Amino acid sequence: MNKTVPLFIAAALATSAFADDDKQEMKHHGDGQMNHADMNHAHGAEHDHGANHEPESHEHHAMAHDHGDMAMIAATITHTNEISAALANGGAPVVVDVLGVVCDFCATAMNKVFSKRNEVAAIYVDLDKKTLNLVINDGSDLSDKQIEKLAKQAGYRIAAIRRDNEAMGG
Amino acid sequence: MINTILRIALVSMSLIACATAVARPVSYAGGWTLIETSNRASSAGLLHYTMNYNLSVGARYEWQRGSDTRVTAIQPTFLAKRWFGRDYQANLYFSGGIGTAERKIGGIESSGRVKFVGVMADWETRSLFVSYEGRRMNLGQLGNQTMHAARLGWAPYEGDTGALHTWLMLEVDHRKHMDERTSVTPLLRFFKGPALLEVGYNLSDPSPLFNFTYRF
Repeated sequence: MNKTVPLFIAAALATSAFADDDKQEMKHHGDGQMNHADMNHAHGAEHDHGANHEPESHEHHAMAHDHGDMAMIAATITHTNEISAALANGGAPVVVDVLGVVCDFCATAMNKVFSKRNEVAAIYVDLDKKTLNLVINDGSDLSDKQIEKLAKQAGYRIAAIRRDNEAMGG
Repeated sequence: MINTILRIALVSMSLIACATAVARPVSYAGGWTLIETSNRASSAGLLHYTMNYNLSVGARYEWQRGSDTRVTAIQPTFLAKRWFGRDYQANLYFSGGIGTAERKIGGIESSGRVKFVGVMADWETRSLFVSYEGRRMNLGQLGNQTMHAARLGWAPYEGDTGALHTWLMLEVDHRKHMDERTSVTPLLRFFKGPALLEVGYNLSDPSPLFNFTYRF
């Protein structure tokens, strides 16, 4: 069993299961295709607003955001029958960009975890957009921190959260 | 530094051997998963419960057909690292187990303690998949076994959520304790919702492969 010792040493060294590779990728706005008002993210040292940036023009959420591919337009909510019905009932839309969503098991995990919450009226994981789409029951609230924690329980990490008009593309 | 070492290890393992990695051996917190595998060497079942996003504990039963050895064990699996990207995910798992092994040779039953450790690594996008799995099993007086397996996979289309996902895969495995040490198995993987099914046929050591995973 001596050959197995290195495996356990390596396991012990891995103090965190979630790598931080993507947290520092905050370089963006270079191509002008993304509206800053559409993004919620933490502003780290590497963040470049450009010369015309007005610091009070938008709200900064304390959320790590992967800007590795900034050619994309921030995804809006995906409409399914369940999502549309929940919105029609007065629910609040939330679109969450999720990293590492590559298969149906990812979608299943997030469905299972978020569906247990009473605040969630509808849920849909869009593999094409890599988004978790939620509708929060009227009168309920699910904070960014709670969403981040639930995503972690499902085994994933979120990059950004958009709510209300931003989520609807308005 | 640790990140770099693990990254190099992951990539190296993928390139050197690329695995029969069980699809996501750690699920979401509070989730149960049933994993059945059947290949040229054995048929096995693992029912595990995910206690946290990085740890699952399960009960394993394995029947090694060639030697008529039956293994019953408790198997924890630890997600040591998950790399996230917008279009990819990579994982490094360590697993272990302890239990009993029974073997019947010429009508005589023998038994012993069994211990094993394993490592699994995978990298996947929605259309590409590479994985490696290695396991070292100590069966006490019944001997030792070492297994390495690697996989390459390609999805001809990107299925949407809830749709049928199809993968074409090629698995290469090496089992020192078997007559045909190295073998090749082309297989098809079907994915739909919480269920995963794999069917294939081993070309080197003619035998079917049948794997099934379901997440509750």
